[in-house]
Amino acid sequence: MNTSDTTVSVADLKKTFFDESRGEVKAVDGITFSCVPGEVFGLLGANGAGKTTTLRMLSTVLKPTEGSASVMGHDVLNEPEATRENLGFYSASTSLYPRLTGRETLEFFARINHYPPEKVAKRVGKMVARFGIEEYMNARVEKLSSGMKQKVSIARTVVHDPPVLIFDEPTVGLDVLNAIEMVKVIRQLRDEGKTIIFSSHIMSEVEKLCDRIAILHRGRILALGTLESLRQATSLHYLEDIFVHYVTEAEGVEGAGIGATGEFEASK
Amino acid sequence: MEIRSALRERSIVVYSILLPIFMYPILLWVVFSAMTFVQGLNEGFVSRIAVVAELPEGHAALIDSLEARENVELTREADTDSAVDRIQAGELDALISFLDAEEDGSALPGNFRVEVRYDRSEGRSRTASERVGQTVDEYRSDWLEREAEAMGVGEAERVLFVLTSENVSTSEDLGALFMGIITPLFLTIMVAMGAFYPSVDTTAGERERSTWETTITTSASRASMVTAKYLYVATMGVTAGVLNVLAMFVSIGAVLAPILSGSDEISVRIPFLAVPVMMVGAVGLALMLSAAMMILASFARTFKDGQAMVQPVYFVAILVPLLLGQQTDRTLTAGIAAVPVANVAMMVRDAINGIFLWPFIVEALAVNLIMVVLCLALARFIMRFEDFLIGSFDGSFWRFAKDRMRPRSIGKEPA
Repeated sequence: MNTSDTTVSVADLKKTFFDESRGEVKAVDGITFSCVPGEVFGLLGANGAGKTTTLRMLSTVLKPTEGSASVMGHDVLNEPEATRENLGFYSASTSLYPRLTGRETLEFFARINHYPPEKVAKRVGKMVARFGIEEYMNARVEKLSSGMKQKVSIARTVVHDPPVLIFDEPTVGLDVLNAIEMVKVIRQLRDEGKTIIFSSHIMSEVEKLCDRIAILHRGRILALGTLESLRQATSLHYLEDIFVHYVTEAEGVEGAGIGATGEFEASK
Repeated sequence: MEIRSALRERSIVVYSILLPIFMYPILLWVVFSAMTFVQGLNEGFVSRIAVVAELPEGHAALIDSLEARENVELTREADTDSAVDRIQAGELDALISFLDAEEDGSALPGNFRVEVRYDRSEGRSRTASERVGQTVDEYRSDWLEREAEAMGVGEAERVLFVLTSENVSTSEDLGALFMGIITPLFLTIMVAMGAFYPSVDTTAGERERSTWETTITTSASRASMVTAKYLYVATMGVTAGVLNVLAMFVSIGAVLAPILSGSDEISVRIPFLAVPVMMVGAVGLALMLSAAMMILASFARTFKDGQAMVQPVYFVAILVPLLLGQQTDRTLTAGIAAVPVANVAMMVRDAINGIFLWPFIVEALAVNLIMVVLCLALARFIMRFEDFLIGSFDGSFWRFAKDRMRPRSIGKEPA
């Protein structure tokens, strides 16, 4: 990985919440990673592992308690607007405005993300053609099927042409065909040179899609590397077995295999 | 884009645009038609009145005058108890008994007392009682006149210490009084209603539809998001207020004038200068209510919760002009001008009455603007809290205000 190409950089990132019943909760506990263009970086973890919190810090919705993160060189804490301008964020909780048409939705998100106004119409036209959504672009989103909404939603995420895309559990709630379509689109975007951060708890998706995988557990990265390097490090073939191996190890001996930054390079 | 989206939502169009336009014409037409209808009903029906016992000698004319009334049907009853039962059953409206005069009155030969039994809970029965009372009053007056003349007492000696009163107010004054009571109330209702749905729609509605995170992950700054949302809600509130004022003026000419054309008691004319003052008042009120409603609704996770959280503002806003409506002799003062909602309500009423207290009007508008600035600053402050931003804060504005006074609170884990 050439560090000069780094699009996303995360260093010793921590996030602590206060919960009335549990006191201070370390949702993210010192994680470090970086991403490059044309890469799908997977965050694999069970529910509550800290995936969404990490991605929310990257998208500046949450502020890190400690550590730093940047997107395209923009610090998430000091340059939140510039950071978001370089991001496309897609998750199950990023729905579309139901009363707008597909076209209005794309135009709105291109403009609000500061895409050059004179190029918006052309860009929207390109997105419409690319995702094959011409037929229903002038229908209100509330009238569309879930598959149609998904396509408009992906187009909404990339309409301002951000170099970094975050997909947080994007296949949650989708049927099999739509989930396959989603994976296909993410691959295409990767091939176009986008940096993609993909979070999921579904092993098969991560296995198929991600160039590098970070196994996240209790806010810490237990292992990070390509699927092949993780296989070599554990002598296990399936990602599910690899995941269980690291989690069991971490649960058995708290902190074992975890470096000072909380990162364990499986390839070492 | 928010406004375009809002104009496709039926409830927002109805409450923020259609209702403010059509409320006055429809309401005025309904009210006056209902009043005329009820008046016709009261005057039209025949009171069924029964009489028990005989009249004292020499007073048969009293019965004659009752029978002579077109709206009275007189019957004889032998038994008081059964007649009372019939009144309670709704078969009779009133029962008249002639009894002996009491104490000092008994000294006069032939004097008697008229007892009317009726059911106060029934409108028909109350009217019957009033008709009997009127007839007896007229009979007494005629009798006294005749007796006095027979004794040689002339009218000049008989009519003493008479109280007369004359209403010097013009029909325009009475019209202004009427409009001064209803206009601030309706204007407040319309502005509050105009801002109500958009304020909930753009905050709690966004959370419910899961579009909030879509919005906050765009590159727009938090300040511009708050401002844009506020401008949307305020625009709808202002639209409702301005349309309401315009609709009122149109209604006065097109609906109220024909209805009142036969009446010389009330005439509605509003000073031309009142229009801009009312418009400015409506705008100030809309800006203030929009900000307050938006802040409260932003803590809700669902549209329904949002409505529940905003309703107190709505009710308080309506209550203020309702209470001020009772104080018809008050005008805008420095004190009232400092009270949001009350200041605009009073300012509007004064304007309708042709009273323009400019220093206090300026004060009232300044107070509203200060409230708006404070509300927006508060909204921006609230947006700094992550648990609010990601929707994991579970509580109302009041709980939020209380919790944030505790320094250890950092936030809650996202759902």
